[in-house]
Amino acid sequence: MPKRVITLTVNGETHEVAVEPWWTLLYTVREELGLTGSKEGCGTGDCGACSMLLDGRLVTSCIVLAVEADGCQVTTIEGLAQGGQLHPVQQAFVEKGAVQCGYCIPGMVMAAYDLLRRQPDPTLEEVRLALAGNLCRCTGYTKIYEAVLAAAERMRLEGARG
Amino acid sequence: MARETLERPRFRHVGRPVDRIDATAKVTGQTVYGDDLRLPRLLHVKLVHAPVAHARIRRIDASKALAVPGVEAVLTAADLPPHRTNPDARAQVLLASDEVLFYGQPVAAVLARDPYTAAYARDLVEVDYEELPAVVDPLEAMREDAPLARTAAIREADRSEEQGHITIEAQQEQAQSRPSNVSSTITFRRGDVEAGFAEADAVVEGTWRSAMVHQSYIEPHVIIADYDASGELSIWSSTQAPFHVRHEVARTLGLPEARVRVTATEVGGGFGGKIYLYEPLVAALAMAVRRPVKLTMSRREDMLAATPAPQAVVQLKAGMKADGTLVALQARVIYDAGAFPGAPVLPGCLLIGGSYKCPNLDIQGFEVLTNKVSVGALRAPGAPHVAFALESAMDMLAQRLELDPLEVRLKNAVEKGDPLPSGQPYPAIGLKECLEAIARTDIWRERHRIRQHPHRGVGLAVGGWLGGLQPASATVGLNADGTINVTVGAADITGTNTSFAQIAAEELNLPLEMVSVVTGDTRTAPYAGMTAGSKTTYTVGRAVKLAAEDARQQILAIASQRLEVPAEELEMEDGVVRARGQPEKQVTFRELGRLTTGFGARYAPIVGRGAITARRQAPGFTAQVAEVEVDPDTGQVTVLRYAVAQDVGFAINPKSVEGQMQGGAAQGLGIALFEEMVYDDKGRLLNPDLLDYRLPTTRDVPPIEAIIVEVPSEEGPYGARIVGEPSIVPGPAAVANAVADAVGARVFEAPLTPERVLRALGKLRD
Repeated sequence: MPKRVITLTVNGETHEVAVEPWWTLLYTVREELGLTGSKEGCGTGDCGACSMLLDGRLVTSCIVLAVEADGCQVTTIEGLAQGGQLHPVQQAFVEKGAVQCGYCIPGMVMAAYDLLRRQPDPTLEEVRLALAGNLCRCTGYTKIYEAVLAAAERMRLEGARG
Repeated sequence: MARETLERPRFRHVGRPVDRIDATAKVTGQTVYGDDLRLPRLLHVKLVHAPVAHARIRRIDASKALAVPGVEAVLTAADLPPHRTNPDARAQVLLASDEVLFYGQPVAAVLARDPYTAAYARDLVEVDYEELPAVVDPLEAMREDAPLARTAAIREADRSEEQGHITIEAQQEQAQSRPSNVSSTITFRRGDVEAGFAEADAVVEGTWRSAMVHQSYIEPHVIIADYDASGELSIWSSTQAPFHVRHEVARTLGLPEARVRVTATEVGGGFGGKIYLYEPLVAALAMAVRRPVKLTMSRREDMLAATPAPQAVVQLKAGMKADGTLVALQARVIYDAGAFPGAPVLPGCLLIGGSYKCPNLDIQGFEVLTNKVSVGALRAPGAPHVAFALESAMDMLAQRLELDPLEVRLKNAVEKGDPLPSGQPYPAIGLKECLEAIARTDIWRERHRIRQHPHRGVGLAVGGWLGGLQPASATVGLNADGTINVTVGAADITGTNTSFAQIAAEELNLPLEMVSVVTGDTRTAPYAGMTAGSKTTYTVGRAVKLAAEDARQQILAIASQRLEVPAEELEMEDGVVRARGQPEKQVTFRELGRLTTGFGARYAPIVGRGAITARRQAPGFTAQVAEVEVDPDTGQVTVLRYAVAQDVGFAINPKSVEGQMQGGAAQGLGIALFEEMVYDDKGRLLNPDLLDYRLPTTRDVPPIEAIIVEVPSEEGPYGARIVGEPSIVPGPAAVANAVADAVGARVFEAPLTPERVLRALGKLRD
C-alpha cells in the first residue's frame, strides 16, 4: 500500500507528511515532525500521556490515525509556551512541585489547559473529573490539583487585568 | 501542609522548598527520554513473547518474518554472541533457549527499520512449543505433589537487586535438599512464642493475601545499545542503576567495564522496576548486528515481561495483654517469586517482626517459584504485604481489648535501640513521632463523629522501610566564571539533583543559580550506587556535602595566599571571599576561577572530592490515616480524606519530600483498592493493559495531607534519612482498617475490590 500525503498544521506550522495508513497521529508527530514532547505510555488511549488538541478537541493521539488528522489543526505541548514565556499552567506546575518524573506531564498539562479554556474557575472536583483520563504514577495528584487551581486563579487575574 | 520540626540551626538553602531544576524542561516537553533519542542506522527490536507459561521450545521458524521488507534479522538464543549465562538469574537468560518458564518470556528478537515493521514481523515468527505442566498459585506450588516450575534446581540465585533496596546481614537459606518450588527460606526466632500466647489476653489470627501488582511507571522500559568498530559498547537505558547495569552487562558479555558506557536517560518513573533487565540482551543484539539497536517496550510487553511486584500470602497470629502490650507474633510469610528467585522475603520477615517491640517471635519466610513473570522491586519491596497483615491484626487486637488503636501502636512502637528480628538494633527512628502527628490530624480527631455516618469510617496504619546502603562519590568544580558544577553518578528520579544543588550552595554560601548539577554517564561520573532503596540523598548527598566542603577549603587556601590573610579569618558569601572585618580585602569566585583555569594559571583547578562509605541505615517510618465511605450495595470503597505523616530526618527540599510522601501514599491506595495482575489457571496474564489493570486516577485520590516529621538521622546530610519508599507501605492496611471501622467487615485480601467487600459483608457467596 503506498504512503499517503496528508497536511497537518501543528502549533501553527503547516507540514505535508507522507504517512503509512496505520501510523498514529502520535507516531507521526514524534517521528516525522520531531516533536517528541508528547509521550506514549500505553498505546490504547488509557493513560493520557499523548494528549493533544485536534481542531480544538482534547484527544489521545496514540489512538488517532494520522490520516484521520489530515487537514486538521494540532496543538502539542511544544505549542503552549509563547515567546519563551511559560503558559500559566506550565508555570504553576513548576512552582507547585507538580512535576516528578515528568513523563505524564505533557499530557497532563494539555488536559489542564483544555479544562481551563472551557471552565476558567473550576472547583477541585471539576479538576479531578477533567484529569481522570491522565494517569500520573509519581505525584499522588495532590500537587497537580494545587497547580491547576493556582493556574486558573492566575489566568483569571491576568484576564481581568488585560 | 505541616511540618513537625525540631530545633535546628538556620540554613540558607537546605530545608527550604525550591522548584525542581528539571521542571521547566519537563513542562515544555523538552526533556529527552530514552524513546526520544535518535541514532543513525538505528534498528528497532520487537521481542517474541511466549504465549505459554511452561514449555519446551521444539523449533523456531523465522522464515516468514525474514521475508518482510524492512526486517534485518531475527535472532534466537542460538544466534547471540558468546556470553555468560546463568539459568537462575533472569537478566542472564537473554532469550529462552530450551525451556520457557513464564507466559511472556522472550524467545526471539525481530530487528527491523521501524517499530511497526518489527511488530508485524514478530507475529509471523513461528515457534513450536511442547507444553509442560504450569504451576501458578504459590500455595499450590508448595505442595509436595506440585509440578515443578522449572526442570533444573536453583544453584546461583541473583539477589543483587534486593540488596540495593535493603542492605542487611542475614542468612537466607537455599532450600534445595529435594526438588521443590521453594527456592529459599528464612527463619527468625526470639523468646518463646507459645509462652507468649499463653500470657496473652487476646489472640487473633488470619491469612492475608496481596495481589501481584505492576510498578506501572508511565514510561515503559526503553534501551538503546551501540557496539562500535573500536569495541566500545554504549547503552542508553531508562535505568535507575547505571553502574549496576554496566557491571552486569560487562560480566554477562565478557567485556571490561572500562569499555562499557551506560547513560541513564531521564527515567519516566521506576519505583524499583527499572534496575536492570534487558540491557544485556539489547547489547548482545547490537553486537550481533553491528548496528545501534533500540528496544521500546509497549505497555502490554512491559506488563507481560518486566519485573512486577510479588503476590504474597501472610499467615499471622498475634497475642496481646489486656494493657495493650504485644507479647507474641507468629508468622508464615510466603512470596511468589515467579519464574526466577528474587522475592523480597528478607525485608518482609524483618518488618513483620521489627515494627513493634515484641519479646516472642517465630517468623518463617518462603520464596516460592511459579510459572509467572519473575518479580522485582516496587517501592519498599515486600513491605506493604506484611504491613497489611500486621496492621490489620493490631486493629483486631485493639478492638478485642477495647483499646484505642493509636495508643496501642504508640505503646509498642519500636524505638532507637530496639532489635530487629535479626538482632540488629535500630538507630534513631521516628515511628512514635509519626503516630503523634497523625493523632493531631482532623481525620483522626473527628473519627468518632465520622463513625456516626452508617457507611463511613477511619483507619490507621503504620509502615517502615530500612533502606539500602551503597558507597557514593561526587565532585564539585569551580568554573572560569565563578559558577559551580556538581557531578554525580546517580540517576535523578525524585529531585535529588535539586537537593544536591541546595547542599553545594549551602556549603559554599552561594545563590542557588550559581550551582549546576549534572548526572554523568558511567565513563565520566564518580561512582554512585543505584537510585533505589531510598538512599540517594542519604548517601550521594553526603558525598556532595563533603565535595563542597573540600572545594571550600581549596578556595579558602588560594584566597588566603592572595589576600595574605589566614584562612580562618576569611568568610565566603555570594561568590566573594573576604577578610572578616576588612571588606577591602576580597577576591571573587570569578577571579579565583580565572586563576585556576586560565592560560598560565598560577593555581591548580579547584576540584572538590567527596567519597563515602555507607554502613549504617537510617530507616524511615510513616503513619497514615484514611477516611473512607463504603457503598453497602455495590461494595465500592471511596477514599474521602487521607493523611500521611512520615519521618524524613531532615527535609532538604520539603516540596520534593511532600511529593514523595503523597506519591507513595497514592500507590498504596492503588494496591489497597484497584491493582491486581490476574492470571488464569494456565498462567496466562489476563489484563496486560491499563484499561483492565486499574491504576488510581484523579477521581480516586483525594488531596493527600502530608505532614513532615523530622527526627534527625545519625549520618545523613543535615540529619536527612531515607524518604522515597516508606509512604507506599501502610495503604492497604489503613484502607482495610477504615473499611472495618465503617461497616464492621474485615477484608483479608488486597485489593479490596467491591466483590471482596461484599463477600466480607456476607452479601455475596460462591
